[in-house]
Amino acid sequence: MKRIALALITVALLALSACAPAASSRSESPHIIVTTNILGDVVAAIVGSEARVTTLMKPNADPHSFEISAREAAQLSAASLIVSNGLGLEEGLSRHLDRAAHDGAEVFVAGDFIETLSYADHDQAGTADPHWWTDPARMRDVVDALETALVDVDGIDGSVIRSQADSYRAELTQLDADMTSAFASIDDADRALVTNHHVFGYLAERFDFRIVGAVIPGGTTLASPSAADLRDLATAITDAGVSSIFAESSQPDRLVQVLASEANLNVNVIELFTESLTAPGEGADTYLTMMRANTERITQGLTR
Amino acid sequence: MHLQRYPLLVSLCTMTLLLSACVPSDTSGTSPSASDSSGSDHGEVTGATQVAEPPLQLLSIDDSGNVGLRDLLDDSTTELGTIPAPQSTATDGRYVFANTPDGLHILDSGTWTWDHVDHFHYYRSAPSIIGAITGEGPATVATGPLSTAGTTGVFFSGSREAVLLDNSALAEGTIVELFRISSDLDAGLVVPLGDGALVAEAADGVSASAENTVAKLRYYSTDGEPTDFSAPCRAAAGTITTRVGAVIGCADGAILATLDGDSPVFERIPYPANAHADPAVAFDGRKGRPTVAALAGTSGFWLLDTRERTWRLVETEHPLVRVSAVDDSDGHVVAVDHEGRVSVFLAESGEEVATTQPLVAALSDPVALAGLTLVVDAQRAYVNAASEGVVYEIAFADDARIARTLSTPTAPSYFAEVGR
Repeated sequence: MKRIALALITVALLALSACAPAASSRSESPHIIVTTNILGDVVAAIVGSEARVTTLMKPNADPHSFEISAREAAQLSAASLIVSNGLGLEEGLSRHLDRAAHDGAEVFVAGDFIETLSYADHDQAGTADPHWWTDPARMRDVVDALETALVDVDGIDGSVIRSQADSYRAELTQLDADMTSAFASIDDADRALVTNHHVFGYLAERFDFRIVGAVIPGGTTLASPSAADLRDLATAITDAGVSSIFAESSQPDRLVQVLASEANLNVNVIELFTESLTAPGEGADTYLTMMRANTERITQGLTR
Repeated sequence: MHLQRYPLLVSLCTMTLLLSACVPSDTSGTSPSASDSSGSDHGEVTGATQVAEPPLQLLSIDDSGNVGLRDLLDDSTTELGTIPAPQSTATDGRYVFANTPDGLHILDSGTWTWDHVDHFHYYRSAPSIIGAITGEGPATVATGPLSTAGTTGVFFSGSREAVLLDNSALAEGTIVELFRISSDLDAGLVVPLGDGALVAEAADGVSASAENTVAKLRYYSTDGEPTDFSAPCRAAAGTITTRVGAVIGCADGAILATLDGDSPVFERIPYPANAHADPAVAFDGRKGRPTVAALAGTSGFWLLDTRERTWRLVETEHPLVRVSAVDDSDGHVVAVDHEGRVSVFLAESGEEVATTQPLVAALSDPVALAGLTLVVDAQRAYVNAASEGVVYEIAFADDARIARTLSTPTAPSYFAEVGR
């Protein structure tokens, strides 16, 4: 029975490979498919016009659960290179990525080229945190590895890739220096991110922030709140001694008001960009603008 | 196993062939621009928008089957339409399954949460009445961790049928039965696990005419083929899926079913030898959390920690009729007692820390009791007082304070908290 199944797979693979030359002969240039829009932006910057770059994840989407069309799924196996984040980030895509790899597609997994951190959280203790891009130094490690992978793609001029990777590395070095100098203006005692965002572990490790995980009261709590509802958050804010919290809330103004009236706390509620780029002009349309926007918001929030 | 997987492999191969056949013509038709990331068929969750926090709503159904939605964040209300008069309901936090004399009707609240374990994402789309599946009821419904993937199990006790529904089809507003198999049992279970389901079965060699009770659970593949994976479970009743796995109540303990690759793994969690109370026959808790609660007859309640694989019996002063575990850092457990009071307990000490005045009347009426629902999320508990026409929102961490008394667009004879 196993043998029959294997034979069928072979037939399927033969059919695929029979199609592949026809497809590539009609393509003008190599085709690189990137899963997340953050990586898509970085890959596009390095590749320039050397290849066609398709980013699967839309602006303002969720990297864990976004879905792709049957057409996109079919294209994956024919890509010259697939670039993914890895470390379990693209859950919704994993079977498509597995199938493409099984079909022989080259897959570059960014998470393979960085020093990972583990979640401290009880439910996931020990598993690797996939949100490495919040540290620009790790992005630089990924760019180094991407450069090598891209140079190997047929039809791409390696010298152009090297030159564009150099330019992008220079941007990352500048970003890193700017973040370091901005965060230096925050007092050591204030270097705490009280947040319900779960993606800033790498940024915190790199730039010496404490992450204080907090549950932000939702709309049903804010509709009829009491001091008891705010106790955990108020304690976190008081212990951290900060004047701003970094939270995603559908009613940030109401949260500010309730913290003031029920817990006597005057804090700012600031939202950060986390797992997705925005549409053009919405504040985080490239990796570099996203990182700079977050740096500015954190610095403003924590300097008195 | 290989024999059963054969048709699946064939269909996968066929699909791959079809897909690959599409690629060349499709690619040639695409413009060779530097990026086509703005293509209209690009991924997100189709038809849904992501929102910043759980889009919580109450879905209410009155005695005549009129369905309404009340938004818990902005108080807006919607009337969704009418189904046949319900006899009981079940929910996974997005869909509501209503037992009616005319089959199991399925409603989509259009709001749900995607649990990524370390964090959550929240979605909102248009609510709808999806339709009904036929079968003589009442039906027992068992739901999985995610409304957009995996499966939902239905067991029709009247027509003795085990049915598995495809959640991704439900998410698109259609009903797809992955399998429908006939059973020898009057009371059975179909419990989603991975791509397949655990189905309750009678002991070997017992005919349909005998007095049948469940003797074991067997894993069935997505296409309804029995596998060799099974576990003994006498008088199976009650199931819930936590982050750890699927739990099924048995006469002498619980079965915890998890997946190792594609293969189910069964663990038995026996009741403690020194605890004497009726076994759990229904489990309830905050969606996904590892610790769940169950009534222990009239003695109090059981807490089952699916991560530690332990039971604990908490005896209570008054007999309870509903209980649900919040499993937060304080270990809150919320219950309704036989006189309609809502009580709050702490898991660690078993201490009753708060109680309300009687809120729910007529608990001696079995019809009213069938519709009585207690549901908990991270911050609030909800309980319906059908005769008063309201749902109480209770701040369990704040001395069981009634935070809001909520009216619903249709009387809450049955209700569900959705968006979870």
